[in-house]
Order: sequence, then C-alpha cells, then structure tokens
Amino acid sequence: MTNVPTNAGSAEVTALDSQARGPLLLLLGSGLVWLVVSGFLALITSIQLHSPQFMADCSWFTFGRTQALRDTAFIYGWGGNAGLGIALWILGRLGGYPLRGLNWSVVGTLFWNLGIAAGMAGIASGDMTGFSFLQLPRYVLPLLVVAYAAIAMSGVLAWSGRRTDGMYASQWYAVAALFLFPWLLCAAQAVLLWWPVRGTVQAVAASWYGQAVWTLWLAPVALAAAYYIVPKVVGRVLPSYESAPLGFWTLIFVGSWTGGRHLIGGPVPAWIPTMAVVSASLLIFHYLVLILNFRVAFQTGGTAIRFIRFGLIAYMLAGLAELLTSFRGVALHTQFTFFSTAIEQLGLYGGVSMMFFGAIYYLVPRLTGNAWASAGLVSGHRVLMVVGIVLSIVTLAYAGIVQGAGLLDDKTTFATIFGQIRMTLVVNSAAQLILVTGNVLLLVNLVRSACPFTNERPATSIFRQPSKLEAHAS
Amino acid sequence: MKNGPFLLLGLFTALGVSFAAIVLGAHGQLGRLTPFYDDAESQAYPQRMQGVAARGQLVYADLGCAACHTQQVRRPDYGNDKARGWGERQSVARDYIHQPRPQLGGSRLGPDLANYAARKPTEEAIYGLLYAGSATHPSYRFLFQERELVGERSAKAISPTGALAPKPGFQIVPTERAQTLAAYLLTLNNTYDYPEARPFVAAKKGEEPKK
Repeated sequence: MTNVPTNAGSAEVTALDSQARGPLLLLLGSGLVWLVVSGFLALITSIQLHSPQFMADCSWFTFGRTQALRDTAFIYGWGGNAGLGIALWILGRLGGYPLRGLNWSVVGTLFWNLGIAAGMAGIASGDMTGFSFLQLPRYVLPLLVVAYAAIAMSGVLAWSGRRTDGMYASQWYAVAALFLFPWLLCAAQAVLLWWPVRGTVQAVAASWYGQAVWTLWLAPVALAAAYYIVPKVVGRVLPSYESAPLGFWTLIFVGSWTGGRHLIGGPVPAWIPTMAVVSASLLIFHYLVLILNFRVAFQTGGTAIRFIRFGLIAYMLAGLAELLTSFRGVALHTQFTFFSTAIEQLGLYGGVSMMFFGAIYYLVPRLTGNAWASAGLVSGHRVLMVVGIVLSIVTLAYAGIVQGAGLLDDKTTFATIFGQIRMTLVVNSAAQLILVTGNVLLLVNLVRSACPFTNERPATSIFRQPSKLEAHAS
Repeated sequence: MKNGPFLLLGLFTALGVSFAAIVLGAHGQLGRLTPFYDDAESQAYPQRMQGVAARGQLVYADLGCAACHTQQVRRPDYGNDKARGWGERQSVARDYIHQPRPQLGGSRLGPDLANYAARKPTEEAIYGLLYAGSATHPSYRFLFQERELVGERSAKAISPTGALAPKPGFQIVPTERAQTLAAYLLTLNNTYDYPEARPFVAAKKGEEPKK
C-alpha cells in the first residue's frame, strides 16, 4: 500500500542535499533568470495592449511575438528549470540516497537553456510556430528533448533505486511530470511541426498539448512540492491521505482532455469541446481530494506554507474557472477575450508559480546550509507577488467581461471596446511591473544566499529545527 | 501504490488514450476531407491559395497576427459574428484543408479575418493600416521602405499624409513581405456554401422530423 508520511523529525540538512547543491541551484537560478526575462516581456506585452504603438516599429517585438516570447520564457525557462530542480530534489530526498548522474543534469541544464535562448531568438526573428505554448521553432525541439532527458535522468535513477519499497504521493506526481513531458513534447512536435496533420486537426492537437503542458507537467510538479512540504511543515500526516491516489489518477487520466474548451464553436468536431466539459467536471474529484488533504495547511504559518497555500487556492479557482468557461453558454461571453488570459494567469502564476516559490523558500536553505540572506527581501517578495497576482487577475478578468459584452453587441466597434478597457489594461501593466520587481527581489536574494562569501549566516544552529528554519524568513 | 511498473503503465495508458482519442480521433474524422466538387460550377472548393498568398500566410504567422485576429466564424445563432458581417455561415473544417498552418487564433482584439476579402478591402487600405496604424492597430513601419524617388514613382508606393508623409524626393514602398501579406489577406474568402455548413434547423414541436 501507499507509504504514509511520518513526522518530519529527520535531519534537515543532510549529505543528500549538499552533494546536489550546485546542480540544483543552477536549475533554480536559471529558472528565476527566465522568470525575470519573462516578466519584462510580460510588461512589454501589457503596455502594447493599451498603447499599441509601443515598440511596434521594431519587428522583433510585435505584439504577437512578445506574447510568444513571454510564454516561452515562462513555460520552458521558468517552469522547466525550476520544476525540474524541485522534482529532482524531492525524488532525491525520498529516494534516500544522494542523487546520481548529476553531471548529466548540469550538462543538460546548459543545453536546455541554450535551446530556449536559441528558440527565442528564432521566435523574435520570425520562426515562431503560432501554436500557443509551443511557439519554439522546430529546430530547437529535439535538442530540448535530449537536454530534458539528461536532466531528468538523475531523478529517475533516484526513484527507481529508492531505499523504501513504497511511494509517497509527492513521488507519484514528480515521476509523472518527469516521464510525461518528453512524450508530450515528442508527440506534439511530431504531429504539428515535423509531419503536420491536416487543417484544423492542428488546432485540436495544439489545444491538447497546451492543456497537457499545464495539467500533466507543471501542475504535477507543483503538487509534488505541496505533498512533500505541507506535512513536513505542519508536522503531521495529511488527513485523508488514503484518497490521494484518486486525486492523482483523476488528474492524470482526464487532465489533458479539457483543452477542447478553447475550440467551442470552432471548425472542429463538436465532441471535442463536449469532452472538455465532461472532463473538466470530472476534475472536481481531483480538487476535492486536494481540499481534503491540504486542509491542514491552513492551520499553520511560515513562508513556504503561505506561498503553497495561496498557490493551492489559486490552482483550485483556476480549475473552477476552466470548468465554468467550458460550458457553451458561458464561453459565448468569455471566449476570445482577456478572461481566458486571466484564467491562464490564475493557474500558471497564482497556482503553479506560487507553489514553486514556496518550494524554493523551503529547499534553498537546506541545499546551501545557510538561511535566506535577507528576511526583508523574502517578505517583500511575498507581498509584491500577492498584490501583483491579484491585481493582474482582477484587471484582466474585468477587461475580459467588458470586452465580451462589447463583442456580443454588434453596434460596439473595436475602438469603443478599446476605450472602455484601456484604463484597466494600464492598471494591469502596473501589476506586471509589481510582479517583475518582486521576482527581481527573489533572484537577488537567491544569489546572495547561494554565494558563500556574502552570506555569513550559517543555518547550522537551526539544522534540526525545521520550524525555526521556516520561521526565520517569515 | 507500491509498484513502479504499475505507475508507469498507468501514466502511459493515460497519455496514450488521450492522445489517441483527441488527436488521432480528430485526425481520423477530418484528416481525409476532400475538396467539394460543385457540378453546377464545375469547380472544386476550397480553392488552393496562389503561391504569393501562401507566402503571405507565412508572414501573417511569423508576425503573430493571430494574437489579435481570429480566422474562425461562429455559427449565426452562437454569438454575433454574422451581425458583424464576418460571415454568413460558420467556418467548417473543409475551409482549411489547403492551408499548411491554419491561423484560427484565440483572441479577438481586432475583427475576425476569415472572410476579410469578401468585405472588399482595397490594397491601399491594407497598406495604410499597416503603415500608419490606428487607435487600436499598431503601425508596422518595418514592412515599408523609404526610397529615393528616381524616375517614375513606384506603382505600389503609398501616400501617407501629415507627419507620416515621405520626405520630398522620396517615396514609401511596401516591402516584398508587406506585398505578400496583402496578397494573402485579399484571398481570405470562404463564402462557398458547403452542405455541412448549412445551419441545422430543428423540427418544431408537433411536426414530423424531415426525412
């Protein structure tokens, strides 16, 4: 049967972590650099929405291209690097032996980042594919698959050679993310870019991939972190832990079926959006299990847990919003508007990224053996994130509703709609500015904490007291 | 869950089933659509794009025009695409079978372009919008060249006014990319009435359903 997590009395900084320090910090650090890059691109995109002439004369930064660059840096740069770092760390810890094959992972990380950088240059100079979340030109994709395999290998080795026979929920989620992504990427690039399927089947395949990247790759890593960290911080077994497999298999089996909600009313077979409604409804079981398991997260404090808590709430709200907008009657008002952007922001930024941040705050002191360099930067980052995310989601959702109402009235011109939502979009730019500022703070703090010369506050005195290590930063 | 192979088997089954059902299923249903041959007109629809328009579609794709413009009309009783004059009928899969990469788009910050050419825009109007922009449309001046006027003015040269007017002795000419893009936009016309595009009329209460 499933292993039940025990109390977190085990040593907090172990030889397991110190060996993995360099490779994992490289992954997390490059993830954060890409997050900041994506933040600046998001700022440009957002400004272009209310001031269309902004940088329009520069062909590298047309709105379509900055949007593609922003998503690519976010998904593959931030989500890929940081997600792999978190997944490897969890699998190494739960495997019970030091991570093996880390040289491969370092080489893989370098090539993964090189591939993304080359791909982004390709997008900016006119090679973007046009498929949402798969904008990278096809010539970098094989490289990305190989680099990903090199990084993920040490996680797979840690899992297959684990000390205990059973598996924890965080291991299922982490293993699922590690294994499924390369298959997804290979299948999607085969049918979209190498041997393209015909006509609108491409749109179906692209929506399938776009959804699966989120439900079968990024969300499982974030949930693996939550399943690992919450019981450790709370200091007890998660309640209703025996229902966790139901939540897991529901997500894995139906999660990728909900992509069709973007194609409602489009030139595709009608059963595709219908299946999206059915599967989005089935996902309610997944969210119910999460509520049952993680209700303890609301009874305790600490930096990591606060981020994860926010992330879990945002993740569930995004799921609810996906379900509602997959109904045809609702989609009539929200399809093709900023409301979809708001849901994406809610899931990817509010949900996945916030859980990633929580994991980073938890694992970096254990990797470096040092407490975070600055507690002020930590709380500053948290406040900016919460304000920025809430503000951007609220403004985008409001703009989406106004835009939807305008589109449904055939007397309303696009210029009128634009006039109605312009100020809201200006506020959204401010939110993007807040977000990128917050992430710069986190990057500075990570560099200072990881650098042995600037950080003079070893955590040796608080090694065996996890609550203290947590509380320090909060 | 104890068993590693069981977990892996479950993962790949889940992914395989969803890929097979959604992507291969849709491919099986739509992958072999053929053009519709109209006996009365002795003509097959949709018609293939000309080479210059096909190149224009690549420009449309690589500039990311689909970030703001969709190319899919929804059926007349779902939304108001028809009332906005975007198309009399819904877009169907057959409309796209000749397109190497259909640009369905997912956001409507600007009008739908599926039947743009049916609205009879002029080439000058397209160049004017691309060059000067508008309150809602960016101006893409990198698609144009300011060239010295030697001899006769180019037939394609545009005549912007005011601050955008060219310097004396110069003319503003669309680049080849702009010309292919305009050629592409001027072919966007899917107005042929396919049998499957006709709206479904539900039988009224008390009436026998039509056979």
